[in-house]
Amino acid sequence: MSTPIRFALIGNPNCGKTSLFNRLTGARAKVANYPGVTVERRSGMVTGLAKPAELLDLPGTYSLFVTSPDEQVARDVILGQLPGERRPDLLIAVIDACNLRLGLRLVMELKSLNRPMILALNQMDEAKRRGISINTAALAQAIGIPIIETVAVNSQGVAELRKVLDGYAQQPATPAGEQVLALSDRQESVEALYAEIESIISQHVIQPAHLPRWQDRLDSLVMHPLLGLVVLFSILLVIFQAVFAWASPVVDLIDAGFSGLGGLVGAVLPDGVLKDFIVDGLIAGVGGVLVFLPQIIILFFFILVLEDTGYLTRAAFLLDRPMRGLGLSGRSFIPLLSSFACAVPGIMATRTIADPRERFITIMVAPLMTCSARLPVYALIIAAFIPEQTVWGFFNLQGLTLFALYFAGVASAALIAWIMRRRASGREEFPLLLELPTYRWPMAYHLLMGLRERAWIFIRRVGTIILALSIVLWFLATFPGAPADATLPAIDYSFAGQLGHFMQPLFAPLGFNWQMCIALIPAMGAREVAVSALATVYAVGEESIDVALGSALAASWSLPVAYAYLAWFVYAPQCISTIAVVKRETNSIKATTFFTIYLFALAYFAAWATYQIASAIVG
Amino acid sequence: MNTAVFANTLPATLRLDQCRKGATVRVTGLIEQPLFGTQDERVSLRLKELGFLPGAPLKVIGFGLLGSDPLAVQVNGTKFALRRAEAAKICVEPIDNPSL
Repeated sequence: MSTPIRFALIGNPNCGKTSLFNRLTGARAKVANYPGVTVERRSGMVTGLAKPAELLDLPGTYSLFVTSPDEQVARDVILGQLPGERRPDLLIAVIDACNLRLGLRLVMELKSLNRPMILALNQMDEAKRRGISINTAALAQAIGIPIIETVAVNSQGVAELRKVLDGYAQQPATPAGEQVLALSDRQESVEALYAEIESIISQHVIQPAHLPRWQDRLDSLVMHPLLGLVVLFSILLVIFQAVFAWASPVVDLIDAGFSGLGGLVGAVLPDGVLKDFIVDGLIAGVGGVLVFLPQIIILFFFILVLEDTGYLTRAAFLLDRPMRGLGLSGRSFIPLLSSFACAVPGIMATRTIADPRERFITIMVAPLMTCSARLPVYALIIAAFIPEQTVWGFFNLQGLTLFALYFAGVASAALIAWIMRRRASGREEFPLLLELPTYRWPMAYHLLMGLRERAWIFIRRVGTIILALSIVLWFLATFPGAPADATLPAIDYSFAGQLGHFMQPLFAPLGFNWQMCIALIPAMGAREVAVSALATVYAVGEESIDVALGSALAASWSLPVAYAYLAWFVYAPQCISTIAVVKRETNSIKATTFFTIYLFALAYFAAWATYQIASAIVG
Repeated sequence: MNTAVFANTLPATLRLDQCRKGATVRVTGLIEQPLFGTQDERVSLRLKELGFLPGAPLKVIGFGLLGSDPLAVQVNGTKFALRRAEAAKICVEPIDNPSL
């Protein structure tokens, strides 16, 4: 069995590489990391070829003279310098036809490596619409590389590209471990290269002098120092409104589905341990977490749309100055926004930040953005303790509380970033240098693939970590059973009960009871499991979890305790996946330990302060 | 590797960070920026790779919120966001806009 030939897509950021990748592989991408680094590695088999061929989607880069970790990976893979990663046999350079100069510059640089290469001239439809006319055959001849015109939105051109790739796939792959390329010192100056490109473009391309006017008009609104911020905050408001309000019908549906399933299984199975296990352990545990898949999907939908249209970089532009005061920059905005969905992809997105210090601070504060896993915990406690009433005319008190929790996270992040920056003053600055891509209509297919990928990652998590935790938790809460002469609820005698009692003195200053302590343990695996853990320890399961558990909590917790628990969840527990990704990103045990301890300390302090203050006020 | 294209350092030289919104200028060269320290050469190279080369037409399209920083420019049809520190590396001369 020979190794399949390997193709790699390379191009500038925003050139439509990933859409092309989705088209060629039928979006059956394997998403993992490159060995030793956390830059996302996407690969898949090209569909519809006679021989198997693997396609690699390299991170976007402007140059082989790299300035950030993800650009470095792209370069190292091409040169065969990344250990454990075979060098691609054929490079498919992707160029945005609307942004020829930048793309061609990279291609000319790649050409000097003397590797087999073809060129995919992407977004041809958009280029034509803008009045850009390219003599493709002449251009191909001038640069000496075959060119295929493609349109990433539909299969036009992709079929032709596939045909060309089919031809290459007939050839044998280069054996592994051969020919590491070295990057020669730049023989040609940038000026000479650009002069060549200018002459090629002037001969074979007719370009209108201006961008479409609506592009500039939109920019003068969106990037306006004041109006732009109004637009930005309106967009953020819509996103959060959507995440909380639009998702709820679907959430209710999933919740009802799992409750129904639990009831159905409960009716069929005979009473006993097996029934308890399936209904209370499995169905309630997994169902309690799966309910907020809609929220995750909605949040990622907005992030993907904003990214695809080109808006996110404008937001980064607007927020660069305010964020710089905190030691961050506009580039930190995108990772931090993603962290509202989940800190793991957020922390991984920091790889586009060139400044190591800024990247470190962004990683350290990213988990303070309230991730969607905390939402069910907040929702449960808020519904149980905060009355549903209107204040100041039109604000919903519950909604306001939720906002306050989100705000507490953001404000703490700002404060911590500021403190960290103060400790590292007087160092070199790093440039911003951010391309503001032209606005583009988002592509439905591309969006769908992105969402499917996110949903799948989450579902896999539910199926593995969360399922396992639910089982362990159920076991701990069920065994050993209560003795025959038991006077207390059965759970008091279980392992979970014992553990909770053991932990309780440590958390007594925060007002936490032992049931709350138990829920903190599985929450470290996945925060959202705190809800099903509470459901297990308070022995509510089959019926609608939210309502029954809410009233159980309201009966046994005081208001200050509930506030303290909420405060705890603003900062901690950091789930295992987050700690793991921090370890991988920083590649430092010291940094990871610092990260874990500082957040736990903060959580402990915040919960303690909240409990003491709230107790003093409530009396 | 000699990357910096030193423009004439006459006091009259206009830098990109001194331009107003809407200004249309032409790049004349790049100068050193001590703020970037050892990174400076690399920043110069990247600026050139992105098209900030002598002769390139450039338009200032907007400013950020505070202290008109960062600024957005369009060079060769592509828009970029730059901080003042980067913009101060870029020497320019006005074109068909003498009132600049």
